[in-house]
Parts: sequence; C-alpha cells; structure tokens
Amino acid sequence: MSGYKKIGVDVGGTFTDFVLVDEERRVIFTGKQLTSASNPGIAICEGVERIATKSGLRIDQLSGIVHGTTLVTNTIIERNGAMVGLITTRGFRDVLEVGHEMRYDLYDLFIEKPEPLVPRERRLTVTERIDRDGDVLKTLNENEVICAGKELVDQGVDVIAICFINAYLNPEHEMRAVELLNKHFPNMPITASTVVVPEIREYERACTVTANAYVLPRMRGYISDLEQKLVDMGLNGPLNVMLSGGGIAALDVAQESPIQMIESGPAAGAISGAYYGKITSSDAVIAFDMGGTTAKMCLIEDGEPEHSNSFEAGRVKRFYNGSGIPLKVPVIDLIEIGAGGGSIAYIDAMRLMKVGPASAGSEPGPVCYGRGGEAPTVTDADLLLGYLSPDYFLGGEMVLDIDLVKSAVEKKLAEHTGLSVTEAASGIHAIVNNNMAAVTRRYIAEKGRDPRRYTLVATGGAGPVHAYGLAKQLRLGRIICPLGAGVSSALGFLIAAPATDRVNSYVRRVDDLDPAIVNEFYSKMENSAITALLEAGADGDAITVNKRVEMRYVGQGFEIDVALPDGPFGDDLTELLNEAFLERYDELFGRRISDVPVEAITWRLTASGSAPHLTLNFDGQEIDKGNAKKGMRDVYFPETGYMPCAVYSRYGLSAGDGIKGPAIVEERESTVVAGPDTTLRVDDYLNLIIDIHYD
Amino acid sequence: MKSTEHSKSFDPVSLEIMWSRLISIADESAAALLRTAFSTLVRESNDFTTVLLDEDCNCLAENSGGIPSFVGVVPSTVKAMFEYIPIKEWRPGDCLITNDPWFGSGHLPDITMASPIFYREKLVGFSGSIAHLPDIGGVGWASDGRELYEEGLRIMPVKFLEEGKENKIVGQFIRSNVRVSDQVIGDIYAQVAAQRICQNGLIQFLEDTGLPDLTELSTALRSRAEAAMREAISALPDGSWMSSLDADGVDERETHIDCRVTIKGSDLDIDFEGTSPQVASGINSVMKYTYAYATYPIKCALDPDSPRNEGSFQPITVQAPEGSILNPKFPAPVAARQLTGHLLYGVIYRCLAQIAPERVCAESGSTPTLRSVYGGIDRKGNVFNQALFAAGGLGANSRMDGYACTAFPSNTGVGSVEALESVSPLLVWHKELVTDSGGPGKFRGGLGQDIEIEVRSDHPIRFSLMSDRHKYPPRGIAGGGDGSCTVVQLSDGTRPNQKARTMLPAGARLRLHFPGGGGFGCPAERDRAAIENDIRKGYISLEAGKKHYNYEP
Repeated sequence: MSGYKKIGVDVGGTFTDFVLVDEERRVIFTGKQLTSASNPGIAICEGVERIATKSGLRIDQLSGIVHGTTLVTNTIIERNGAMVGLITTRGFRDVLEVGHEMRYDLYDLFIEKPEPLVPRERRLTVTERIDRDGDVLKTLNENEVICAGKELVDQGVDVIAICFINAYLNPEHEMRAVELLNKHFPNMPITASTVVVPEIREYERACTVTANAYVLPRMRGYISDLEQKLVDMGLNGPLNVMLSGGGIAALDVAQESPIQMIESGPAAGAISGAYYGKITSSDAVIAFDMGGTTAKMCLIEDGEPEHSNSFEAGRVKRFYNGSGIPLKVPVIDLIEIGAGGGSIAYIDAMRLMKVGPASAGSEPGPVCYGRGGEAPTVTDADLLLGYLSPDYFLGGEMVLDIDLVKSAVEKKLAEHTGLSVTEAASGIHAIVNNNMAAVTRRYIAEKGRDPRRYTLVATGGAGPVHAYGLAKQLRLGRIICPLGAGVSSALGFLIAAPATDRVNSYVRRVDDLDPAIVNEFYSKMENSAITALLEAGADGDAITVNKRVEMRYVGQGFEIDVALPDGPFGDDLTELLNEAFLERYDELFGRRISDVPVEAITWRLTASGSAPHLTLNFDGQEIDKGNAKKGMRDVYFPETGYMPCAVYSRYGLSAGDGIKGPAIVEERESTVVAGPDTTLRVDDYLNLIIDIHYD
Repeated sequence: MKSTEHSKSFDPVSLEIMWSRLISIADESAAALLRTAFSTLVRESNDFTTVLLDEDCNCLAENSGGIPSFVGVVPSTVKAMFEYIPIKEWRPGDCLITNDPWFGSGHLPDITMASPIFYREKLVGFSGSIAHLPDIGGVGWASDGRELYEEGLRIMPVKFLEEGKENKIVGQFIRSNVRVSDQVIGDIYAQVAAQRICQNGLIQFLEDTGLPDLTELSTALRSRAEAAMREAISALPDGSWMSSLDADGVDERETHIDCRVTIKGSDLDIDFEGTSPQVASGINSVMKYTYAYATYPIKCALDPDSPRNEGSFQPITVQAPEGSILNPKFPAPVAARQLTGHLLYGVIYRCLAQIAPERVCAESGSTPTLRSVYGGIDRKGNVFNQALFAAGGLGANSRMDGYACTAFPSNTGVGSVEALESVSPLLVWHKELVTDSGGPGKFRGGLGQDIEIEVRSDHPIRFSLMSDRHKYPPRGIAGGGDGSCTVVQLSDGTRPNQKARTMLPAGARLRLHFPGGGGFGCPAERDRAAIENDIRKGYISLEAGKKHYNYEP
C-alpha cells in the first residue's frame, strides 16, 4: 500500500487530535486544536490544513481522512440533542420510562435514574401488533400514524423515531409508518428501530432508536457540512468515519445511524493497543489508557479486541453500571473507571483513604498546577514520589509546585490519620492502582481467564506512570510503553480496517429452524454489507465475512455468541448449531447441559476489508543519541522507600538500548516509571519494553 | 508489603487496600458463580451471594451486587453446620451443603454452601455462597403449601464434597428429587467453583500481605464498620417508637405486624412483639429472613455508603415472638416468605419517620413483590412454565418523587415483553403506567403499571399467584397519601385467589395491576410546576390534581 497518506481526526470534548501517516516516507505527524464546540468542522479543517502543511503535503495528495468524535456521546451526556417524538405500539407507551425496573445501587434510597430521552407527552401510540412468530395480529392503523405524526409536528419535534413491538421479526409495519410519515411530513427526519437495530428486547431497541434520533439532526448537519468544506479544500480521497465496533465506514452510516459512532474515540485507542501488541508479538494484551479523569482497560486476544453488542450511555452516576441508557450497538468492550491524574484523594467516614472517582479536572486541576486546587490528587502524589519532575511536566510547559502539594497532603490527609506525607502519597498511588487492578481482575474473572498471562500496553498521560504499580498488583510480567503516549490512541484511526455489521433476529429452537430462511437472510445481509464496504473504499477481493449467532438454553435469559461456518446451511444446521453451542458453553463455563433445548436469537454478520499494514519504525522524531541520561533523583518505591534513581530522556534512547531498573524515562506527554526489579529495553519500533522480575 | 510491616497494625491506606481486595475476592467469586449458573434467578435477578468469613465465622466481605435476603445469613448457617459436622472433621476440599430454611435464608430453593480455607495447614476462614436453584422438587413455586414437607426436598447439613470428591449418595438424593436435575446439580457445582475462586484468592492475599491469618485484620475491619453504624445510630435521639401494619393475609384471615424501634445510645433494637401467629401458608418468614429484611432498611437509611461486614450489624438487634409469621416454628411452610419479609421496611420506616423523616421512604407498590407463574401446554404442544416479573411504583422520599415501576426492598430485574413472548405463549397486550396510581404528597409516589396478558393455549392453564396489597394499599409517609391497591382480574371479572394455585380456562386473558407507591409529605406543599408537569404527562388526572392538590388551572 505505497502512497498511503491519511489523516486521522479525533474530535474530543476539549481538544481535536490529528495524526498524519505517510507510509511512503514512513513518518507520523501529530497535531492538536481546541475543539470548536458549536461547529467542530471548523477546528477539523484548520487542523487538517496545518498538519498537511507541516508534513509538506497538499490536501489533494491525501488518500483519505478518517474521523471519530465524542459529539454523539457528549450530546447524550449533556442532554442537548434534538426534540424527539416516538411512535410506538398501542399499550406500550411507557417502555422507555419503565426500563428494567431495577435499582442500580441497592443501598441508596435517593437513587437517580436517567430521564428517558423522550418525555411521556411526546410518546404516542398507534394500533398495530406483530406476534412472536412475526405474523400480523392487528394491522397497522394508517390513519392513526398520520394523526400521531401531525400531533408530534404540532408539538415542534425535530425528528420522529418509530419502535413497534416484535418489529425485529417483521419490519413491515415500521416501514409502512416511515413511508406514510415521509409522504405527509417530507422534511421531517424519521428513524425506525428495525433499521437502526433489528434486535429483540423492546426497551434496549427503543433506547437505541430514540438515542439515534436524539443525535441525528445535529450529526447529519455537521457531517455534510464537513464533507463539503473538505472537498472545497481539495480533498479527493474519501472522508470515512470510525464506528464504535472498531470498523471504518462510509459517511452515509454516520448520517443514518450516527449512534454507531458513540464510542469511536475509545475504539481507536483499543485498535492501536492491538497494533502495539502485534508488533511486540504479545498474544494477550491489556490496553491500558489512563488520562486526567478516567482509566480505560480493554482485553485483546491474538490481536482482536474484545467486542460487545451493547453499551451504556450517559450514566447518571458516573462509572456506575446500570445508571445509564442501554444501547444495542456493536462496540469494542472497554472497562472505564474514575481513576486518573486528577482523581481526588480523601478520608472517608470510616477513616479510610479513598481515591476518586471525583476529579479535579483541568480547572482548577491538581494542587501542583498552582491554579487554586486544594484537594490532593493522583498527579500530586506522583510528583511527591519523584515519578514526575516539577520542571518537565508537558515537556516543561508547566512548572509544578511541590511545596503547595506537601502542605495540602499534610492538611487533608496526614493530619487526621497519623500518616506521614510520604505514606499518604504512596497510599494515593497504591490505592488508585488497586482500584484499577480490582476492576481489571473482576473483568478478567468474568471472562474466566487468568490475569497473569497478559502484557500491559500503557498509554495516556498517566498510563506509563502507573503501569508498573498496576502490573505488580496484577502480577503481570511485561509492560509496553509506545513512544508518544498521547498520540498512540489516535493512530488507531489509521490502522483500522473498513468493517460493517449486520444483524437479524430469528428466534427459534434449533430443532425447529428452517435453513432456507437462514440462508435467505444471511445472503441479504452479506450483499448489503459488501456493498457498504465497497462504498467505503474497501478492496473487493480482500473482504472477509464472518457469521455469529447468539444462542441460549431455552428459559435461560443469557445469550452467548457462537461462531458459525460460512454457509450456506443445509439440513444439518440443527446439529451443527447444537454442537457449536455446547462446545462454546463448555469453553466458557466448563459444563455441558444436555437435558435442556437450545435456541438461536440474533444472527450477526461482520464483513471487513483488509487493514492497512503499517511498518512504521520511527515517528519522525529526531533521536538525540547518546544523550539519554538526564541525571538522578530520589524516587519512591514501596519496597525500598526513596532511593536514587536514574532519569532518562525518552528521545535519547534508540533501538537496542537496555537499562537496568529502577529508572524514570521522561517524554513530553508522559513519564515511564520502572521499579528496581525491572529491566528495560527499546525495540525496533522505539517501544519501551519493561520486564518485571518476580522472585 | 512484607510481613514485618503488618505489626504496625493497620493504617488508613493498608486497611483500605486490604478491604477492597477482600471485597474484590468476593466479587470474583460472584463472577464465577454468575458465569456458570443456569438459574435465571441467579443470572437476571441477582438471587445469590458469595461471602468470605474468618475462622470464627465473622463475615468479612460479601459480593457488591446482591439482594437484601442474605444479609448476615451465612455466618450463622456455618455455625449451624458445626452442630452436624464438628469443625475438627472439616478437611481441605470439603464443601458442605444445606437448604434448611431455619439454618439458611428462609426457603428451600436457596442452597447454602461453605468450604473451609486452610493456609499453611491452619484453618483461616470459610468461603460461602447462597444461590436460588432452578428447582427443589415439591409443588413448585407457590404459596399454598400447608407444611414445609410439600415445598420440596430438605437437605440438612452434610458434606457434598469430601476432600474434593462428590459424596455420591448426597448427589443421588438431590438428583432424584428435583425436576431438572442436570441444571440443579450444575448450579451446585457453580457454587463449588465460586468458593474455590474465593479460597485461592484468600490464599494469594495472605501470601501477598504476609499476614499469617485474618484474625487481626478481621477485628480491625469489623470495628471500623461497627463504629460507622454506631456513629449513625448515635446521631438519632434515644427513645422508642411504634408502628404497625395490616396485610391481606391468607383466605380472608388478615395478618398484622407490630413493630417497636428502640434506640439507646449507639444500639438499635427492633421488636416485632404483637405480630400475628404463623399460618398454614407459605408466607411465614423465618427469623433469619426477618433479620435480613429488618436490618437492610436500617443500613439504607443510616449508613448506606460503608461496605457491609458483620460489624455493620453488630449494634442492631431484632426480635420476633416465636411461633409468629416473623419467627415461625418447624414445619411451617415458608416458600413465599417474601410476602411477609418485604413488608418489614414499611413499619420500620414509619418508626424512624417519627424522628428522621428525611432519611426514609414511603411504602412501595412492590412491597411485597407480585409474582405470577403460568404453566401448561402451548399450541405447538410444548410444555411451558413461565413466571412474570414486574414491579409497582417506588415510594417517594424527602427529596423526590418515587420512580415508576421500581421495586423496593427486593431488586429483581425484569425481562422484556419480546423476550417473554419469544419463550412462552403469553401475549402481552398492554403494559403501561397507570394514571393516579401513585400516592399524593409533597413528593408523589411512583406510578404502578397495568399488564394485560392473554395466555395463548388451547388447554386450561395452571396459574400460581403470590401477592398482597389487594385490600391494604402501600402507605404514604410523613403526611403523604397511599398508593393504589393490587388488582388481578380475569376478563370475565373474576378474581383468582391472591395466594394460591388455580386453573385458568384455555385462552384466558387477565389484567394485573401493580400498585403505585406511597407519597411523602403533605400534598399541599407540592410544587405547582410539578403538579402541572404530572398533568401534562398524564401521571395524574386533572381531577386528581384538583382533589389532592387543590390545583386550579
């Protein structure tokens, strides 16, 4: 793939990040712009212009731009999306409000649940009913659809969502309703549940289609505007978007189903984690990204990040499972917790020290920023322990005030507890690592695996600072710190493959399946997926298709994903599914139950093109050979207390260099910490590889 | 942390790290149980628990999810096991089992298991678990058994595993007395696997920390938890407060609960003297279940944030007269003990409301939960047996309206209508909030819901109903009004027995009303904008607005 010159753009809440890869010259350039909140396209165009100029390329030489955004997720968190009307089946007006009927926190009497995206007065019902076999029980009352549409238009809605009971089995009524509404209200955007997510479970489907509606007008406007601007600037190549599942898609997906972009940024991070795993020959990787307020962990097995078919958006209680809106969207499965550089340490009612999830954010920020922050944070502790240098934070752009930190820790943590300042600081560091280790361990336990076989790939500003402590708690043997911890995540946009997902629900006991029906819907799904990929610029010969089906024991509410062979399927389908299910069940749960029948629920297909194969072995950095060692400073390690420790400049290390721990390695966006029981080496890709030696 | 350091006793950092690590061990154990259990009650309704005990059977950590039923149960179950198998006969690899309602969590489907944990050849603790099995024989899930013997197989404490090997006789007994034996035995092994994870986790923990055993740590943790609860209780005035509650009872014989909460310094006593005698229906709540549902609301109201361990409950005592529905004697039937146990928070909060109304909430529509089970043969000739889970409205509290259709104190998840229809011949025609079902108040009770169901079968259907509140609605608190009453009615107007099994005609269609919750505070204090919002959304009718709130448009 010579001549591959692409820009990846990640629109975040505060910053828009850019990364340009020029395969021909084997260089990477990076850039940052403040996000232009009212119209993110402005910052994107400026940034693209800048980075292209910096790299010496013209816009028309680019082979394409790949784009991800937090706009979708933020719109739901901030609740500033469109005014949505919902039309649903008579008798089911309150699906969105009733939800799962659970409390996500057992002991909190004052629990807050997320408000439905569509309030009751804008949820209208019409007569129609499909039964559990997909047959029409009550025909759609078309007049009621038009009346409901009119009432919603009169209420001033921006967009209408449609979600009928059992429509996942037969979309006929939803499609007819779309047709009628389009005819009578030609300028009104309409989105139907079976187009966005043709899957069983009305609450999740209704949440997904209304969330899609909620972000749709804004995303449509912004994407078409952006495309126009870039074309005007001379862009010839395609503008693609990153989807939450880690695939690259054409723009029309973002315009019809923008909800699929909800986790595009983190997905890119996981993909780049997988990439670093691959180039360092690590089979099992925990991609660990720790920033200012959160840490994210993703498991990667044999180069494939874990996937999930659902995601919870806009949690009312941050990081609390069950407190958000459940969406059925293919995503890369990540755990996120409130552990970051800004996480605040405090003493709780039981007189125990706690860290996070509350964060000092960037304003006022940690105490050491000297901007008025009074609560000691993780970054403050890292400074006291010698992990961070007061003079080389963000490459020296900000000077950190260590004396302010000492008095804050003394006052808020040490005074009441009898701890020394050092004990309090090392406590903060250990507790935040412990919090991250606990969720990671539990997550791995849920998958029934052993944490010790994983390699940690650390990114984000605080990732490399905490990787060593986290790895020790999980008893991992190896840490990989890619060069440019802040950029490595955006790289994911440029190494992801074009991919698209299709789903179809066909709920049947496997002994009652019709293989002809399965073959028919799979062939439709396959054609539509391949067409979409070709439109996204994939090479037709390189497209691979894989099929999976969610199955369960009849009566058990828990589905598992079972891989299917290519097909087409014949009369042995029942046998094939039964065997594949039992085998997978045994693999996951260590048991086979043969006295219960098995059923298939949701049939999935993923088509993907080939991923660009990058062989970058440097990032345009000037290596300052021979000037690696910057000096010594006292650094705290739990086993030794403060000890003299060599400090290196990341930019002075070259491939093949080896260091015996303890060591601090500083780069602009982060600092690598390695304890006395480690050895470090630099590989051909300039990754820093840290091996921990347990006795 | 090397062994030299622990003698420094426990500072706020190491204690925090060790405690969260122990909770994490209980959570990993729970993850293993969830992952390998078949029972939908375990998977979808969290009807299980995993715990870690020290060598004196003090509970140090339990899994973070879970439901209130198991608070404080396992430690006394393990002690009861000692009566059958003396501690000196417990070997590494052993796993004991019981489901006796009086030893365990109050009804037969809940299996309690425990394994000893040895470290350096010394007993250092126990891993324990409780899970609701898919079946335990007997009449199935119904409230009309007249004696325990009808309710299924009863297993007194016995070794299920002996030094890692299955006790074949015990296994065979269980297999031959339950309906879906592969699932049941499989789920028992899920508990075994969970306990093994807990054992390994604890041994690794001791190795990492250098602690020889849990004794000192356990004392430190329990005293912190106890201190937090004592502090919360001490903040309330001393005194004694009374309250009572009437429930529909069984076959026209109403039941009654009397409650007296006494606070003296940092001790809190709950006494149910005066409560109705036990009945020949499965609504009797054994003492341990009574204890669990009496202490849970106290923890929510007074000390919701600190993690639970034995210490949290040390300052609380609970008593109920022997032979009453809250402390029945063997062989009382107990299968539907939730119909009584869930009610307790209502009377306890009415006592606390007299001194700290801002801490409590009104009674909820799902206090107790309404459960119905449908069985028979569908039109394709397949046998079905399907339970319907749904909730009424949450009682309001001092800060906000109750949420619609949210259960308290139980916390059972609800599947979707589409999922329900996909596995059974039940057709749901209607499932919507009911206007005016929430009790009026400064803060309104959460709305209940109506569900209309048609059973699409050509044969008569077995129908088991476990419900209450048909006569006595969920009550408001601190001046708030009552929620609506339960209704279960066939399309011809007949109402099946609220606590029994009945046969329904083929193709029956019925309506179930899950009540709204009680209101909080005087309706006259309700914000006008909130009233208007309620009317606009149809949460209340204009007439109700006029009647309860003197609202004039």
